[in-house]
Amino acid sequence: MMICDLANAKPDWKAYGLGELNASERKQAEAHASDCGPCQQECSELQGTLAALATVRDEEVPRRIAFVSDKVFAPRWWQAFLRPGFAAAALLAGAIIVHGFARPVGSTELTAAAQAKLTAEVREQVAAQVTQRVQSEITATMQATLDSAVKKAVMETKQADDRRTVALLAAAENRYQETAAFLNKQVTRIYAMNSGAGVR
Amino acid sequence: MIFREVEDRDLITRTRRGDVESYNLLVSRWEKRVFNYLLRLVAHREDAMDVSQEVFLKAYQNLGKLDDPERFAPWLFRIAHNEAYSLLRRRRPEGEMPAELASAARWQPLELSLAVDHALQTLNEDQRAVVLLKIYQGFKFEEMAEILECPLSTVKSRLYTALDLLKTQLAPVVMEGSAVRRAGAK
Repeated sequence: MMICDLANAKPDWKAYGLGELNASERKQAEAHASDCGPCQQECSELQGTLAALATVRDEEVPRRIAFVSDKVFAPRWWQAFLRPGFAAAALLAGAIIVHGFARPVGSTELTAAAQAKLTAEVREQVAAQVTQRVQSEITATMQATLDSAVKKAVMETKQADDRRTVALLAAAENRYQETAAFLNKQVTRIYAMNSGAGVR
Repeated sequence: MIFREVEDRDLITRTRRGDVESYNLLVSRWEKRVFNYLLRLVAHREDAMDVSQEVFLKAYQNLGKLDDPERFAPWLFRIAHNEAYSLLRRRRPEGEMPAELASAARWQPLELSLAVDHALQTLNEDQRAVVLLKIYQGFKFEEMAEILECPLSTVKSRLYTALDLLKTQLAPVVMEGSAVRRAGAK
């Protein structure tokens, strides 16, 4: 039996066959194999094994797994409080209340500096709110697009499931017909044999 | 906005927000792969179906613990693998494995199917798991290490040993198949 000259440094043919080598490792391995008989043989034997294994076909799932639609799995009422939207709203409401209580009393007459500061603050807040609103509108649009995409995907999946059920039923019916025909044939054959024996 | 396909991570995000339909869609996307992995690992159709149900229920209950939605596939298969192994452990005292594997898949042609079936059954559970994850599920070595919760070197050595065993087992059929193909080509 011939042995590769590289001995322990020879290419990892299993990793090669399983697609685990990077482009340069693949190239090196292929360059080596072009001049190495033992490596060519090893590689070809492995490909044969992998090809044999690859003839296995996936089977359809006999029943649908759809238990999560069950109400038992729906989120509890208190879990709603943990959602980001609700938490943000609660935080904002809390901040407004705290601000209302913490505001200094008797500061109705403002100095020019204070007035300017207030105007700047208001401007800043308005700008921030506008930005936030634009961002939320963009997010809402993206969300709506995603929602419709999910709805479409769910619908397509349901249709595919229905088609699969029809196909499974048809296959079962077919198997039943074939078995019935086979049994019929066997019965006819046995009956004919017995009738023949009776004549004799 | 340019339309993009709904990805698993979108569905995971929506499921976490309580959208059950999104999770059902996620199940539809993955049930066939998970079921076939389990079917070949536990070699029993009803058991594979029961374990699949269990896997998707556990995944749903623990979806919040998935740190990176991009790693959903290895995470899901880790659950599947652990569930299958606990079933195999429970079964072990009885000894024999159910011999339903022959009817578990449609093989072509028949001789090759029987040979591959027999060869897969000669492997131990660990070896069979790595073959199924690599050959039939197409996971990378790193992902397999994550699923099986073992070092990458262990994954490689198990898989390489399994492939050597399969090569020996399948050699007569593979050689005959090549000879038949060569004769047919003439």
